[in-house]
Amino acid sequence: MKNPTAAFLPIVVAIAVVFMLWAVGHGRPVHAAGDPIVVIVNVSNPVENLSLSELKKMFLSERSRWDTGKSVAPVIVTAGAPERKAFLKIVFGMSDADFSNYFMQAAFTGKSATPPKEVNNPSALKSFVASSAGAIGFVKALDFHGDGSDGGVKAVKIDGLSAADAGYKLRM
Amino acid sequence: MKPVKRALEGTEPMRESPLALGWTISTVGILCLLFPAIARAQDAGPVPDQSEINRRLMERIDQLEKEVQALKAQPAAPASPPSSPGPAPAPTPQTVPVVEEAPEVNEVAPRLKLNIFGDVGLQGYNGSDTTFFLGSFDLLTTARLSDKVAVLGELLFLPEITDNAIGVDVERLLLTYRPSDYFHISIGRYHTWVGYYNTAFNRGEFFETSTDRPFVFAFDDFGGVLPMQDVGATATGKIPTGKLGLNWIAEVGNGRAWGINVEPAQNRQDSNTSKAVNLGLFMRPEKFSGLQLGFSVRHDNLSIPGPAIHELITAAHVVFTNTKYEILNEVALDQHLVAGGPIFNTTGGYTQWSRRFGNVRPYVRYQFFNAPNNDPVFVYAPPNDLAPQNYTAFVSGLSGPSAGIRYNFTAHSALKFQYDRFYLRGLPDENGLTGQVAFTF
Repeated sequence: MKNPTAAFLPIVVAIAVVFMLWAVGHGRPVHAAGDPIVVIVNVSNPVENLSLSELKKMFLSERSRWDTGKSVAPVIVTAGAPERKAFLKIVFGMSDADFSNYFMQAAFTGKSATPPKEVNNPSALKSFVASSAGAIGFVKALDFHGDGSDGGVKAVKIDGLSAADAGYKLRM
Repeated sequence: MKPVKRALEGTEPMRESPLALGWTISTVGILCLLFPAIARAQDAGPVPDQSEINRRLMERIDQLEKEVQALKAQPAAPASPPSSPGPAPAPTPQTVPVVEEAPEVNEVAPRLKLNIFGDVGLQGYNGSDTTFFLGSFDLLTTARLSDKVAVLGELLFLPEITDNAIGVDVERLLLTYRPSDYFHISIGRYHTWVGYYNTAFNRGEFFETSTDRPFVFAFDDFGGVLPMQDVGATATGKIPTGKLGLNWIAEVGNGRAWGINVEPAQNRQDSNTSKAVNLGLFMRPEKFSGLQLGFSVRHDNLSIPGPAIHELITAAHVVFTNTKYEILNEVALDQHLVAGGPIFNTTGGYTQWSRRFGNVRPYVRYQFFNAPNNDPVFVYAPPNDLAPQNYTAFVSGLSGPSAGIRYNFTAHSALKFQYDRFYLRGLPDENGLTGQVAFTF
């Protein structure tokens, strides 16, 4: 047997490390600039601010409980909605197909990950969030009035910024 | 009284005389109180005799008692809606009923979920006949029994190595209890946390970028040397380390059985009381999304003829995955420690890189494996790479590159082509080409 392992392996590992460092820097999601997307929770939820990382964990079923102990129940509008497409891209760097495959693979590997509940429109989404203490979802800013007429839901800041602030990352 | 008179006559605004206003309200109030009494007195007519009043009252009491008895005899009826509903209150956020226990997200899914995975292909190696092959047919069922309890069952149909018969295997059967993100425990038959690849891809060819597993992480019932499946309990959870993203792993199982044509997982009866223990840590730092680093150490007392042998398996990985890149690097050291004797070290590892361009993902992999020819354990289950000409051979050394391309022609099906060139110790070099279609439905 020829044994090229000893000669090639250090080179291969060195290239792999360099490539990984480069890829880590280039693998971050791109933040688009456009109409904001508002993240909403039930009005009884004391949370006021979430990081993008926390948001990602909640929607990918990696975090199952709020600090209050209630179950996290993410809800999302069905595929095709522009806010969904933008949200998946910004928060997860995923397309709809990637998102679907993620949960399929998570189920396959026994991670007990469950995909978010899907609803047909922003009104149904707000109704679900309003009726579920642990629910979290997102809507276009145009679909959220913030004047009490949304019924039992409130907006949360993302990384300390509200949808009206400059530098807010969740934009379509 | 002068202000009152002026106010009533309208000659002076009322606001100029609070006393006049008070008198007016009092007068109107007295009139309102007196008016009903005056009206009743006008309607009453002549006052009846007292005995007549008593008689009427007794008749009325008797009538009411009969009605009460009749109502008691009837079954309870639902409350009737109010006859004249009042105006609806103005909607406020507080009027929406709040569910104290949030519905679990799986409420939207059927209680039992079934996913089917499969793969078929065409393979050609130098020194053997080119052949179509059936890879596997995998039925995966999952269910959430409650907020904290889930089950997973995986039934696998796949061709046996030694003949073309299709064998059936209960690949995994797990009941999982997940009280919090910091503690999940599963009991049953599971895939071990030895290395990254085994629990990241399991038997899912559809999820794997390449057409096959790296040699060192080959399944132990298909020529692999590491225990990839076990029966026992496996637990994992987060460690509250914030952005460091540390997780722990602990497993206790029957361990692996060794022997030619012997099922490696000891499903019904362990051959010794000693249990295999696997402990590990892995980290997903928040700052570097997609990066995972980890290691595990597993100990088992092997039950094979001869002196007692301890097996110690150490595995480590550094991987980076996101939707675009997949960079996998793993090494494993499998040590067989003979009591009062030598230590036999088997090493293996691989590095695999791929980048996605739309639906196409090209990849390369380099792997190596070195096992001592005189390892006393491998006499009972020699490592082999399942190449048609070698599936009965003892492959003690293997190294070489693979290159391939994966094309997702639908969201749930992939076409893969892979070229392998392996240098084998004591055996002819291998050149192989594999085409595979992997899918799920």
